Amino acid sequence: MMRTIEVMLVIIIILGAFMIASFFAVLPSPREVSPLNLRRLALTTLQLLDSNYSLSAAAFVDEDDSSFAEVTSQLQIALSACLPPNIIYNLTVYQVLGENSSELYSYKWSISNAESLGVGSDAASLLVASSNVTFRVTPEKIGERGFGGTLYILNCSDANGWWVTGYTTHSLAQDLYNLLSPYFKTTVMVQNTTDLGKILNGTSLQGETVQNAVIINTCGEAVPIPSAYSDGNYARYCHFLGNTTRLYNWTWVSIVGYPLYYVSNINAFPNNNNTYGIYGMIQVGPAGLNAFLRGLDNQAYSYNGNSITNSLSEPVYLSSEARYYCNYYGIYPSPYQTSTRALPDSILTTYHLPESRVTYIFNKVGSWIPGAVYRHVASGDNKITGSLFALGLTRTPDIRLTVLGLLCAFKPRLYRSEYTATNATRLVVLQLGQAGGI
Amino acid sequence: MAGSTIDHLISVTVFLGAILIFISLFNQTLQTAILYQRHSALATKCSDLLDNMLLNPGIPEDWGKSDVTPVGFGLQDPEFTQYRLSPFSLMRLRSSVGEPVYYPRTGLTYSNITMGLGNFLLVPYSEAINYSAVAKLLGINGTYGFQLSITPIVTVSIEEIQRKNPLILSVKVTGVNFPLANAHISYCLLTIPIGGGSGSYPFYTIDYGTNFTDAQGSVPLSFPYVKQEVSYVFIVYAYLGGLMGMGYYEHVTYIGSYIIPFIDDFAEGRMLIAHSYDVHNDTDTAEITYNATFVVLAEDFTLRSMSVENSTGKLTYGIGWPYAYVTIPKNVRSNPGILVITYRKSAQETGVVLMPWGISSLAFPVVFGGDPTGQEWVATDIRQVTVNGVAYQAKLALWSLGG
Repeated sequence: MMRTIEVMLVIIIILGAFMIASFFAVLPSPREVSPLNLRRLALTTLQLLDSNYSLSAAAFVDEDDSSFAEVTSQLQIALSACLPPNIIYNLTVYQVLGENSSELYSYKWSISNAESLGVGSDAASLLVASSNVTFRVTPEKIGERGFGGTLYILNCSDANGWWVTGYTTHSLAQDLYNLLSPYFKTTVMVQNTTDLGKILNGTSLQGETVQNAVIINTCGEAVPIPSAYSDGNYARYCHFLGNTTRLYNWTWVSIVGYPLYYVSNINAFPNNNNTYGIYGMIQVGPAGLNAFLRGLDNQAYSYNGNSITNSLSEPVYLSSEARYYCNYYGIYPSPYQTSTRALPDSILTTYHLPESRVTYIFNKVGSWIPGAVYRHVASGDNKITGSLFALGLTRTPDIRLTVLGLLCAFKPRLYRSEYTATNATRLVVLQLGQAGGI
Repeated sequence: MAGSTIDHLISVTVFLGAILIFISLFNQTLQTAILYQRHSALATKCSDLLDNMLLNPGIPEDWGKSDVTPVGFGLQDPEFTQYRLSPFSLMRLRSSVGEPVYYPRTGLTYSNITMGLGNFLLVPYSEAINYSAVAKLLGINGTYGFQLSITPIVTVSIEEIQRKNPLILSVKVTGVNFPLANAHISYCLLTIPIGGGSGSYPFYTIDYGTNFTDAQGSVPLSFPYVKQEVSYVFIVYAYLGGLMGMGYYEHVTYIGSYIIPFIDDFAEGRMLIAHSYDVHNDTDTAEITYNATFVVLAEDFTLRSMSVENSTGKLTYGIGWPYAYVTIPKNVRSNPGILVITYRKSAQETGVVLMPWGISSLAFPVVFGGDPTGQEWVATDIRQVTVNGVAYQAKLALWSLGG
């Protein structure tokens, strides 16, 4: 009998243990076991409603505005239309206050489709900005963290341009100045061929750094030539340019067409024209670019008049990298262009322009490169010694492509102002709950 | 002695019985807790997996616009952030609900999303991404099954009130069981006038317009210049407060033979135009001519038509040249749009078919993955997404394959 009593005692103890365990082991409600992620749903709903900035516009309408009823009504319709029928919501708009205020936010207004959001709810918020806000962007200056940082824009009044139809070299230079000068430590407009001669000899014009500079030739297929170099052997001048580009580690920029196809100096060649009626210009032909590349690669000068470009029948398209930087810098040229002076990829090996260092602005088409920044690295070396940026597009030049190409090559960062403009930012909070069930 | 033994036996028996009862009681509690835990983990996994699919474009990021097989799965539009999906990546998913179509002339089977007669999206299996491949790329092959549904939020339904003199159509715009009052609508009516005689390529006219819906989300539209019964297609985009949806309606005067477009090459933007007899073995083998155009939605929510390469041609069944090609020009290929193909047998017998280039252009839904029917527990989660501006709801159903 004793044992039976003992067993009963044990049963009571175990029963007690079970009851205590059951009391404390509270299982979650079925809704909590497999919940709908209401926070994510709220966030994606806010993003959806703001996909065309409709929510931003609505959030800045105040209760005393005449359009308030219409705007909130539309917002309620949109919310009801996009949320599942069993989801109830409360959308509240807060004004973000400035740093001097004791509060962070102040309540503006709210809309809801239920008196309460039930036992469980979750919320997400979105900061929206007024369309009146201007955001300040400060670009990093090229050369700030290293060498160089000088931009020379050839705006030579004593040289003519070719394949810049519809523009003057002066207007192109001005546009380039406006677009690019914020990104460079120093921007110098080279006003005549005499000044060009100075920088070719390494002489600073305004105290700027000549080494590692960028030189943009706005004369298109022609290149300004100082009178001192107009000795009749113009391909040799191009060779000298290539050599100088290598010595000073310049980036030489050809904005359109066949680079260095003509040399131009109004005073030196008053009676010569480029065979198309533009005086002050002499045709060098393909020998100009060939000589430049030889100079860039520190090869001895030799005359080579063979054309190396190709006219591509299909449009050429911006590379993925260039398209990325279109968005980053906010420059949007047409993504496809016509290239009639594409360079062959054989120059990469012939002149030591390693492909790994090439920045493609346009996608390659077979073995042809419509536009790219080529960087010279001498055999057995790892250091860049001079670059050529050639846009082998047909006239008329889109100067934004030149800007985009240079920014792709140097990648200066943009420092954007903080998102805290007083009274220009509102916080929209969407709280969601589930109707019905437990 | 005997009483003690009996006492012993009874107590042991009662003790063992009680222990068994308690073990089963505890076990039941533990089992329930484990199940709850497992289901909770499944819900968390479902949410994570859905974000994983929607918030990365995959590798390579432009796999939706090319013919390559991705090595990383993701549906985000590579040109945007947040929950914006690529209309082209969605187009390459093999539909799990449409009946596959076999086309004997190419010897290929096609994934099929068909939204009524005349609205096709047929993607060759060789170009479509299948369920098991995606499961492998997501690292859940053999452990979880899933079904991803991308459904438009806004429904634009169109009803023909009067067929001619004038043509009157009623447009109704609704969200999830809620009418969109005062929604801005932008529409395009493409009509194929009678005339031209048998054999000539079908001529068409396009008219555009805008309007607003009333408090019930409806608006009647009248086209007085449609004096007699013609084939036409009516395409509508509706917009309200960040929500955009679209709808379409076709009326054809001849359905005996018609055009069926198949996607041939994503990267080249090339479509194959087939005769319906060669696909369905219908009774009507009449020769038909066709004329194709590409319609895109501009940023101001108006529709624009663009010309396509090899836009006109003639189709015969089975013999000679059984199918033709239509290529979307390279400069507009990266934009979603609608390929509208008008066809005709005779002056009075004409028709029109549509094919979306990018899933959002015709607000086609996508259902991709396995079948959740019969699974012990299915966790679901939803997100609001946009596909080229069109509002969709992405829903993922996830279940465990681990028992």
